[in-house]
Amino acid sequence: MKIHEKIITHYLSCTSPVDKEGYLYKKRERNTTYLRRWFVLKGNLLFYQERPGDRNLLGVIVLEGCMVQACETDGQFCFSLVFTGPGLRTYRLAADDHFSQESWIGALFCASHIYLSVIVRDLERRYEEARRDKGLCDSIQSSAVASTPNNIMASWNTGQPFFVHGTSIVPRDGRSYSTSSIPPPSVPNRPISYSLHAPPIQFKTSNKRSPKLWPKRNAHVTPLNGPVPSFGEWPVVNFDPSEEFSKLHEYYGNEIKQLRADWLKKKREEVGYVAEDLIDLG
Amino acid sequence: MRFNEKELVFLSRQPSERAAELGMRGPKKGDVVKRRQVKLIVNFLFYFRIDEDEPIGALLLEQCRVEKEDNHAFSIVFLDEAERKYLFECDSQEQCVEWIDAIVKASYEFMRKNLIHYRTEIHRLTGKDPLEQYGISDETRFQVNSGLPPLPPPPT
Repeated sequence: MKIHEKIITHYLSCTSPVDKEGYLYKKRERNTTYLRRWFVLKGNLLFYQERPGDRNLLGVIVLEGCMVQACETDGQFCFSLVFTGPGLRTYRLAADDHFSQESWIGALFCASHIYLSVIVRDLERRYEEARRDKGLCDSIQSSAVASTPNNIMASWNTGQPFFVHGTSIVPRDGRSYSTSSIPPPSVPNRPISYSLHAPPIQFKTSNKRSPKLWPKRNAHVTPLNGPVPSFGEWPVVNFDPSEEFSKLHEYYGNEIKQLRADWLKKKREEVGYVAEDLIDLG
Repeated sequence: MRFNEKELVFLSRQPSERAAELGMRGPKKGDVVKRRQVKLIVNFLFYFRIDEDEPIGALLLEQCRVEKEDNHAFSIVFLDEAERKYLFECDSQEQCVEWIDAIVKASYEFMRKNLIHYRTEIHRLTGKDPLEQYGISDETRFQVNSGLPPLPPPPT
């Protein structure tokens, strides 16, 4: 596959900001030696060359679909870029000291386009909320700036672990740097993992549980102080709970309608006729 | 220059933001329009021969200009010295406009600017930095002044 090298190197050398650069050790693919290379991180691309200022780039790593993990197996200050997928590679890197290791892991963790688009989407929503709170908005439409891709989130999160790992947001503590599908432990605002993992609206087909069986919880209330309920406890719908109740009503209503249709059909088969409803359900 | 080809090919097989069969013409003199399956994923435009699994190539959508051309077409011009121009022919005006919009918004730098804009505005409206809860408020890439040249690396 052709990568159009000149376009990529031009992006590196143009005036937009470099996100991070410095020396790291890179383990060779089939060898156990680590070679010292000058790395430059820009956007979702990690470039490497022998020395800073070298005109000859050795290579580039596109940082989409990988987890960043600290690992101590090869010695100190090591970390890996683990690409999740069949036959995909793990890049093993090492820093000079603990500070550099942490700093690089942090920068690489939030470098992917996928990650960025999730954050932007969340900020866009919160911006609209903040404007509404201040009484500034008369329309729901976002202003001059872009709205991020919608379908990409829903489809990437159903199925392949590749993207489930890639899109969960975990607030970083001192230890966990790898993205995972665990929702954040306690978040004052609505947890982002909610909107990430909710699949598109599916009426009845996949979820046979009647909503009455779920623990009694008002789906529209975001816990302010307690821990976020795990994903399984939220109703399986893909919209902002602060939107119209009518959508939720229709969603649950459809399940009832279906149950009733099934019941009527069954009754017809048993009895040979259908009595009129005692109550006019409209 | 080496690159993680296997991982990129894997990426090209994921669900895309936008995909369609378009006419595509390369930048060289004498290049003709060919039917290609074009897929927009993150900030890459992958293009395949029709019904083939492995992409012919991937165009990084950074540092480029996207323009409307005549007859339901648009072009992408890469702003390096060569100013290479790729032409894409769509089936309708609507499809053409949608592609232009999607490509512009797919650029990493475009999204970064958006993020910084929203971050600044939310902070102005609420007094809070929305990135704090993710633990990323100190990352260089999200700073308001990230248009400035980076500091030189500390001496090793």
